[in-house]
Amino acid sequence: MPYSADALKIYLVLGLSSGAAGGLAVMLIPGARRRLRNMITLLFAASGAVFSWLTALSVFAGKGTRIGFVSGDLEWSLDPDPLGAVFGLIASTLWMFATVYSFGYMAEKSGQRVYYSFFLFSLSAAVGVAFAGNLVTLYLFYELLTLATYPLVIHERTPEAAAAGTKYIMYNLSGAGAILIAIIITYRYAGDPGFTGGPVLAGVNSPMLGWLLVMYIVGFGVKAALMPLHRWLPAAMVAPTPVSALLHAVAVVYAGVFGVIRVVYSVFGRGLAGQLGISRVLPWVAASTILAGVIVALRQDVLKRRLAYQTVSHLSYILLGAFTLQPWGLAGAMMQMITYPFMKMTLFFCAGIIARQTGETRISRMGGVGRKLPWTMAAFTAAALGMTGMLPLSTFWGKYYLMKGSVAGGMWPFALVLAASGLINAACFIPVVVQAFRGDKTPSCKEKGGSMALMFAPAAALVVIALVTGLVPGIVWPGAEAVTDWFFG
Amino acid sequence: MTAVIADNLPAFVIIVPLFAGVVLPVFARRQRLVEGLVVLAEAAGLAGVGFLAYIVFTHRGTDWVYQMGGWPAPWGIELTVNSLAVFFLFAVMAVSLPIALFTMGNLKDEVGSNKRTARFYTLFLLLVGSLAGMALANDLFNTYVLVEVATLSCCGLVSSRGTPRAAEAAFTYLVLATLASSLVVIGIGFIYVTTGHLNMGFASQGLAQAWQDRPHVVWLAISFVLVGFGLKSALFPLHVWLPDAHSSAPSPASAVLSGLAVKGYMICLLKFLYVVFGPALMKEFSVDRILVLAGMAAIICGAVMALPQDDLKRRLAFSTVSQVGYIYLGFGLMDENGLAGALFYLASHAAIKSTLFLSAGAMIASAGKKKISEMAGIGRKMPLTAAAFTAASLGLIGIPMFSGFIGKWYLIAGSLDTGDFLPTVIIIAGSVLCAAYLFPVIRAMWFETPQKAKQESTVQQECKTAVQHAAEHMPAGPGVPREVRVKDPGAAQKLALILLTAVIFVLGVVPGPFIELARSAAAELLMLR
Amino acid sequence: MKTLLEKLIVNYPYFFAMVLFSIGVMTVLTRSNLFKKLLGINIMGSAGYILFIAAGNIRGGTDPILHQSDPGTVYVNPLPSALMLTGIVVSVSVTAFALSLIIRLYKEYGTTDARRIARMRNEVTKSDSSDRG
Repeated sequence: MPYSADALKIYLVLGLSSGAAGGLAVMLIPGARRRLRNMITLLFAASGAVFSWLTALSVFAGKGTRIGFVSGDLEWSLDPDPLGAVFGLIASTLWMFATVYSFGYMAEKSGQRVYYSFFLFSLSAAVGVAFAGNLVTLYLFYELLTLATYPLVIHERTPEAAAAGTKYIMYNLSGAGAILIAIIITYRYAGDPGFTGGPVLAGVNSPMLGWLLVMYIVGFGVKAALMPLHRWLPAAMVAPTPVSALLHAVAVVYAGVFGVIRVVYSVFGRGLAGQLGISRVLPWVAASTILAGVIVALRQDVLKRRLAYQTVSHLSYILLGAFTLQPWGLAGAMMQMITYPFMKMTLFFCAGIIARQTGETRISRMGGVGRKLPWTMAAFTAAALGMTGMLPLSTFWGKYYLMKGSVAGGMWPFALVLAASGLINAACFIPVVVQAFRGDKTPSCKEKGGSMALMFAPAAALVVIALVTGLVPGIVWPGAEAVTDWFFG
Repeated sequence: MTAVIADNLPAFVIIVPLFAGVVLPVFARRQRLVEGLVVLAEAAGLAGVGFLAYIVFTHRGTDWVYQMGGWPAPWGIELTVNSLAVFFLFAVMAVSLPIALFTMGNLKDEVGSNKRTARFYTLFLLLVGSLAGMALANDLFNTYVLVEVATLSCCGLVSSRGTPRAAEAAFTYLVLATLASSLVVIGIGFIYVTTGHLNMGFASQGLAQAWQDRPHVVWLAISFVLVGFGLKSALFPLHVWLPDAHSSAPSPASAVLSGLAVKGYMICLLKFLYVVFGPALMKEFSVDRILVLAGMAAIICGAVMALPQDDLKRRLAFSTVSQVGYIYLGFGLMDENGLAGALFYLASHAAIKSTLFLSAGAMIASAGKKKISEMAGIGRKMPLTAAAFTAASLGLIGIPMFSGFIGKWYLIAGSLDTGDFLPTVIIIAGSVLCAAYLFPVIRAMWFETPQKAKQESTVQQECKTAVQHAAEHMPAGPGVPREVRVKDPGAAQKLALILLTAVIFVLGVVPGPFIELARSAAAELLMLR
Repeated sequence: MKTLLEKLIVNYPYFFAMVLFSIGVMTVLTRSNLFKKLLGINIMGSAGYILFIAAGNIRGGTDPILHQSDPGTVYVNPLPSALMLTGIVVSVSVTAFALSLIIRLYKEYGTTDARRIARMRNEVTKSDSSDRG
């Protein structure tokens, strides 16, 4: 593979812009040309993924590049590092799966043009968040991600969707506002050295730093659904399932998690973060979100809402690992970040298939679904086991390293929290599976829509990937290792 | 000839629009000629400002003081070309030229008849000329006269549609604006009594010496001027006239009123406070605190009042009340960053609010609907107009790469400089509230299906499924009634919207020279140089 | 106390101007009759003129005509009076414009009372919306 600096710049720009270009292209295609539109959507999503891969691989190989554009006192710059590469890679890869699933799920639904174009726009925004080289650029794409996903949240055009959209915007803009203030304070302390040259705030000494950190965590915590800032996430579940699956289980919420990790490791740096006592306070916040989220999830009857609260819980796994400030903890966070979305998206995909094929969204009324959709429920079962962290599935490794990290840092209570969370997760999903296979009611067929093959294929593929990576974790380990080396090496 | 113009450029910039405005009614019957003259005058003004900016940039640090008729101060009248003046002139000309373009060919629909269009243009050009004068004038009484010219033109513009509602709004505006003028003129009178000068520089020197002898008179002067200009520029508790006036005017007039006229009075107040009274006196009488507090109250209250408005133009008018608060907040920070941010925000808001009012006006004119709830799906039929509206909204909310973001950035930096955290939080809260009142409009325009289709479907339940079915197959334009041909306005209007949106983007993406100019203006005002 | 009273008596034109101004403001803000509002505006304007002209007056000064024979004469300052001419012009145009608006409103509503006009206008808009609803 050519790794010259110019080629890298081109990969970076193409990876970033293919989503936006695709979105524009889709916008221009007349509404009736469905096949053409689907092809173009897939083409651009694929090109975004390919170029993000190329960029990420070269970053892992130790070759960075930087694109900058000075405007006034600010500079917009792209400068991928391993952490960004991991996020960009996951986001753009999963986008492909979600796109294929969308073809199935959205078939014969209205407003597809808008849907697909904003789906692609948000790809660009997510890749931009990943590869941003400094704080303002991160902020720019973070805001664009909120805006680009707004039309997807309100896609159903119902009053609930509109209300959820408003909630979404309000929460996320408030969070972004906190981030903006924090960024401006950071700039006043340290200027704008970018992320790749070591921690931004290294050597700064001020009593305000603690508050600055709180502001960042609160700001990014909104998107990362850190309790009690998570309320928009269950509300946003009114969106079509592919959106919930990709954006509100992976891309958007990951942008928040990514931002938190970015701030802790690239802005404050390990040393300063340790001095501020991050590893003493924040893991507890994350741990309480882990437990509270999954316990609230237990009480939800609507399947997607249960999944949403479970997302809240699982995002804090990653944060917990990052907050320990231990190499193994960060490695665990990265492994969790890489492996968890495969399972989570499978769960959402299955929930979407059930909703489209039987019209059922409530768990209590899903009796007999397993007999009607055996393969779907099989995939669901596999993913549910993955959520508990069982071995043949890749999520085991995330949890393993997280536990290792917390024990290594002398924080063994968190290992217990993780174990307990695994059990509650089991309590969350196993009854669903049992209910689906045992119930004697035949499900009412209110609505039967969507293309089963196009919906099931991505879900099955994700399960297979999770199995393979679970058995051979060496496939994904280099990503986690690169990030850990970058910040600890 | 060119030498004459170059030597007298400051006067030229003021006189061209004024003169064109006065001459226009002669050609009232020849519509095309009138429009051409207006655009020509605007373009000449813009070119002149460009040249002035060049001069200011090349002779950095020294103001060009132009003496009218060659009489030296304090006897003669002076025009001062400094960074502040050039910055504001730029904003005026760069925004009023697209507005003039927008009126080409469709003003008749807005104001009612052909006869009224020439009058409209006269008032428009008089307003532009007087705004240019306010930027340049270095003389208290001339400022007052220009303010009066602007006020009368504004009232004329408000009432130019000729409806009784407009006449009522214009009368309220006229009464309050004249009250404000009286306050200002009495304030000027006090300054004159104290110092014996009307030239700003000399008055400032006189005040610096005399204020300790007569603190009460100076205090009275400051408060009269503050309340007077505050009333004219709709500073929060004094904003009562604005929503009616700005929403009942024809849309191009709303654009110029909300975008520029209000800003002119703010620049006047800025010059009175910083140039005449000076930063030291401002601190002494805690004017800065008052401005910050009023600004914060305006940001929040204006936005909260905008939320329940269903009439699109009224919502935008209340939004102006809120946005004016940002600028006053920056004026009160008394800090280089904050003041530069306020000036930048002023220019940015001029472009943004004009775009919003013009595109809203185009939509209202085309669809015949004033209410946001009736605008469902209009974005599909008028994509360019709605896109301009959306871009401007995002700019107002403060999304990066749009001009509002840069202004907010420096305002926040300025308020952090002063060590006060509350304004920072208010600025952010204002952005969030701004999103709360603008996003429903954007949603209605782009993502909702027109109400007519809904109503039909409720009448005929059987048709409901059919309509939905049709909608599914034609997501581009579901249920469009054939007889209403709602579409984007003509070429000139499109060009105007594109130009204004381009201004918003340019200010947001390459703010360098503009923020530089604003910062040097701020340094001049704070006497840091 | 004495000095304050003395100051007031000596500077009686300023005092008078302020009283006049207050009367004007009260009239503008409290009266609902449009004509009375307009009168209030003019009263306020007059307060401004008095203030300026009083400021320009010098007790015992002569009219400001250049007497070449007697260069030591004290003149009344002519500038404020000249400025107030401009002020009067402004005031006249404001009055004319306001009157035209009043005529327009009277033709439409048959009254010059602001409150009644507002009430009638609200009724009109209400019936409009009920028609639509």
